[in-house]
Amino acid sequence: MRRREFWMLIGPSVLVMFGLLVVPLIRTVQWSFQQVSYGTPGTFVGLSNYTQALTDPRFGRAVFFTVFLTLVVTAIMLVVGYLVAIGVNNLTRLRPYILGAMLVAYVLPGVVGAVSFSWLFDQNFGGVLNLLIERLTGQSFLWFTDTWPNRVMVVAHTVWHLLPFAVLMILAGVQGVPNELREAARIDGANSWKMHVYVIIPTMRGIIGFVCLITIMDVLRTFDSLIPLSPQADAIGNESIMFYVFDTAFRDGSQQLGLGSAVNVLSIILILICLFPFIRDLLKEAKAKA
Amino acid sequence: MRIHTHVRNGVAAMAITATLVGLTACGAGSRTNEGATEVECDYTMPEADTTVNVLAYNSSAIDPFTDTMVASCTRDNVTLLHDPIDFSGQVTKTTATLAGDTGTYDIIETYGFAVPEIASAGSIEPLDDFVTEYSEKYDLDALDEGMRSALSYDGQLYALPMQAQMYIMAYREDVFEDLGLEAPTSFEDMIDAAEVIREQGDIEYPIAMPWSATADISTNYQAAMNSEGADFISEDGEAQFTTEESRTALEGMKSLLPYMDPQVTTFDQPSVQQQMFNGSAAMAVMFSGRMNDLTLETNSALFEDFAFAAPPKVGAESPYLFSRLSVDGWAIPANTQLDKDMLFQMMASAVGEDASTAAVPAAYPAREGIVTDDSSRYAVAANNTIAETMPAPNHPASAAVTNAIRPVLVQVLLGQTDVDAGMQQMQDLADAAIDGL
Amino acid sequence: MIPNTATAPTAKASSVVSPPRKRRRPTGKRTSAVLLILLALVMLAPFVWTGLSVTKPTNVAFANPPVVSGYTPTLEAFRNLWETTYFARYLGNTAIVALISTVVALLIGIPAAYALSRFPGWVSAVLLLLALIFRSLPRFSVVLPMYEISRSLGIYDTNFALAAALVAINQPFTIWLLRNFFADIPKELDEAAMIDGCTRVSLLWRIMIPLMRPGILTAGVFVFLFAFQEYLTALVLTDTTSKTVPVFITTQLGQTLPMLQQAGAAAMLLTLPVIGIAFVAQKYLVAGLSDGSVKG
Repeated sequence: MRRREFWMLIGPSVLVMFGLLVVPLIRTVQWSFQQVSYGTPGTFVGLSNYTQALTDPRFGRAVFFTVFLTLVVTAIMLVVGYLVAIGVNNLTRLRPYILGAMLVAYVLPGVVGAVSFSWLFDQNFGGVLNLLIERLTGQSFLWFTDTWPNRVMVVAHTVWHLLPFAVLMILAGVQGVPNELREAARIDGANSWKMHVYVIIPTMRGIIGFVCLITIMDVLRTFDSLIPLSPQADAIGNESIMFYVFDTAFRDGSQQLGLGSAVNVLSIILILICLFPFIRDLLKEAKAKA
Repeated sequence: MRIHTHVRNGVAAMAITATLVGLTACGAGSRTNEGATEVECDYTMPEADTTVNVLAYNSSAIDPFTDTMVASCTRDNVTLLHDPIDFSGQVTKTTATLAGDTGTYDIIETYGFAVPEIASAGSIEPLDDFVTEYSEKYDLDALDEGMRSALSYDGQLYALPMQAQMYIMAYREDVFEDLGLEAPTSFEDMIDAAEVIREQGDIEYPIAMPWSATADISTNYQAAMNSEGADFISEDGEAQFTTEESRTALEGMKSLLPYMDPQVTTFDQPSVQQQMFNGSAAMAVMFSGRMNDLTLETNSALFEDFAFAAPPKVGAESPYLFSRLSVDGWAIPANTQLDKDMLFQMMASAVGEDASTAAVPAAYPAREGIVTDDSSRYAVAANNTIAETMPAPNHPASAAVTNAIRPVLVQVLLGQTDVDAGMQQMQDLADAAIDGL
Repeated sequence: MIPNTATAPTAKASSVVSPPRKRRRPTGKRTSAVLLILLALVMLAPFVWTGLSVTKPTNVAFANPPVVSGYTPTLEAFRNLWETTYFARYLGNTAIVALISTVVALLIGIPAAYALSRFPGWVSAVLLLLALIFRSLPRFSVVLPMYEISRSLGIYDTNFALAAALVAINQPFTIWLLRNFFADIPKELDEAAMIDGCTRVSLLWRIMIPLMRPGILTAGVFVFLFAFQEYLTALVLTDTTSKTVPVFITTQLGQTLPMLQQAGAAAMLLTLPVIGIAFVAQKYLVAGLSDGSVKG
């Protein structure tokens, strides 16, 4: 393909991404060095937004919780997603029903699903699941005001929402594993456990990496589900970084846009660190091609 | 075969949707102003097609005024639009629309607490000239003097008062009668009643109040301080968080906590209504605008069992009730592109006599002589409360100070910070917020 | 959208959908089937419970303890939703924005993905890496500036602005996914067609796109879903005129009983058609993904 053709074909897409992603991003970086609110030109304040964010214990709590949530959810997603995908793959007649039913959680808009989820736990709205858990365990949990029960609920919601995606991807991956490979392993006397560990999983390293990557990206920017699920998120240490930005830079008359932007920039750095392994692989690939 | 199965499932879901839509959507948009009163709305018709966007949160007290305005003033070239929105949505949208040279909204609902801040910033229009011009046409002199001053800043009126909201106590008359209890008049009374109800009734957490940690809790603290005769900011602009009144208010609130749902710091006013609807609480204190809902059969099987009284005082000897008087009114954003004379007349018709009469019993209109003791089941309580609520003019720094102290307030009430340290922290935060303006 | 780390052979393995026949103990199989059915029910629970709540009469809808029988189901909440709010407008906005942004995302994404799959060298690699980084950006870092820019351009609160934002935000995912599909189509095909005198554009249009149908369907479904679900971008970039259903539902959370029930009804109406799409599309999604992104 000639260079001219390449740029002609890719031009519109690149133009859109640069115009609508890079330009706003530059504005965010500018704002992060300013004291500014919407509709007014800002004044340059150097690094003070950054020092304010980095010395704010609230920001520290938000980073901790976000990273915690990402790690836990990603781990659960990979393990449970794999098990469920294998199970679904073995189904025959039931498969479309199970897969279709599971996809419901994924197609519900995040915030809507979170509202439904919160009604299951909120006694003011019946709280049917809360009631069930109380009856079963004989204990009552403060799902919205105690840090750990709230974390459990938020993790459960996030897994509930994202699991179908992992299942779908891993299922696609499992189906991509050539049958000859399984047969060969079986002839070599591999039992089912060994088959998974030595044959299927290594073959699917790519797709598992992909699920991992997408999950990390999506959980790191958890935001809307916390509106119904954790109404006093900061007070109990369950606020995500994006929620912190929302609160400082948009909601309830708060217009500390500079501070919010600084937090945005910091979280971009955090995300890049989390994604570093993937980026490194890509760079290697690029180098190999150069 | 399998292809057909799941296609069939998909088609089934579509069919359910289609049926639901078919069964329910035939009158789409037909009742957007259901039950609205038609009043005269006599503005000069603009020549161009005009859309007037109205920002007002939904509650049974605000809705009648909004609906009357939208229904009566929409005609010919002019369409008024009002999207449903909750209170916190209104707060966010108000900030957004007032920032910058243009905004989405042309008429906004606002309230005494918010007026000084947005008026001093020049974000809403002063209305005095319009009031002078249209006083006779819309009989504006009948709007209560005190409520007008609650929506004024620096001697100028910035919002046209439509109604007042004050704290009311709703309680379960059946439960109280069975146990031989009287409506409590102090926090101590409330606790005594709660003890009895917990012991002899089967309500574990009898007291319900909206102590949402991100919003209403600070209003409750302010009401408790008002009961003691002090406010967040004194008349000469000093923060009052280290005063004795502040301490009494905090300790009073803390003493109620054991009798309130452990998750009370996540409850807004609708949650408190839910507690009452569901019979999980026996007494609730919140703004009067939320009381009418309790009297409706469609909302709860217990609707006949609720009785209403003025809220208690913090201490038996406190000078005022545990209450805030909040006045709601209509304001014109300074950045609207529409004819402000037209907008004012729309607002004026919506607070006229017919509109105000129609808003009873859900609201307590600003027009004098509309609410009598027979107006509603809680009218007596409302009139009593107004007489004994501390007059507390709002300060331009009120909003900033309130936002600044709220997290500390929550920590103090939950026992994570002790009262003395918390009072000092709030004082420092408030000083900084006042200096920042 | 994965790095080339798959070590195993990437032979054009089965879009074979039938599961491998294993001689497993039937009990084990049955247990796992039962477990999966249970899991599916648990996954459906929040949706089903909301469905129940919105079809109850208002005074028992959110009763505590919950009422599960002894009431007459009603569609009143749905009727009120249509008649007392501008729900039809919100739903229309949501659908229009999702459709437009999907079509545009594919229109500019397909050629871009094709180019990336055919143009070797570091330029493609760097562009792909940038796309990956764009995909991971915190939404606020682009949406808050968009809010200000759209206000100053006078396009704030329009379907156009929202659709444009969503095209850009979903573009990285679109080109990654599509590129993987294109990578599967042998380059020899291009060369043969070029010898026959095809231009790149007509090659793409007449040969590639028909071959790419499953891939385009998969990408289209995902982009449509992302746009249909989007909350944050719509929250910040819209106000009244182009408000979408997820934003509407969220503004109702602090409302009292009847309106809260309407919000639940809105959630049902928004979701049911998408569930329909999910049921129809699931098989093609699995097959399509299996062909495409499994390999890098």
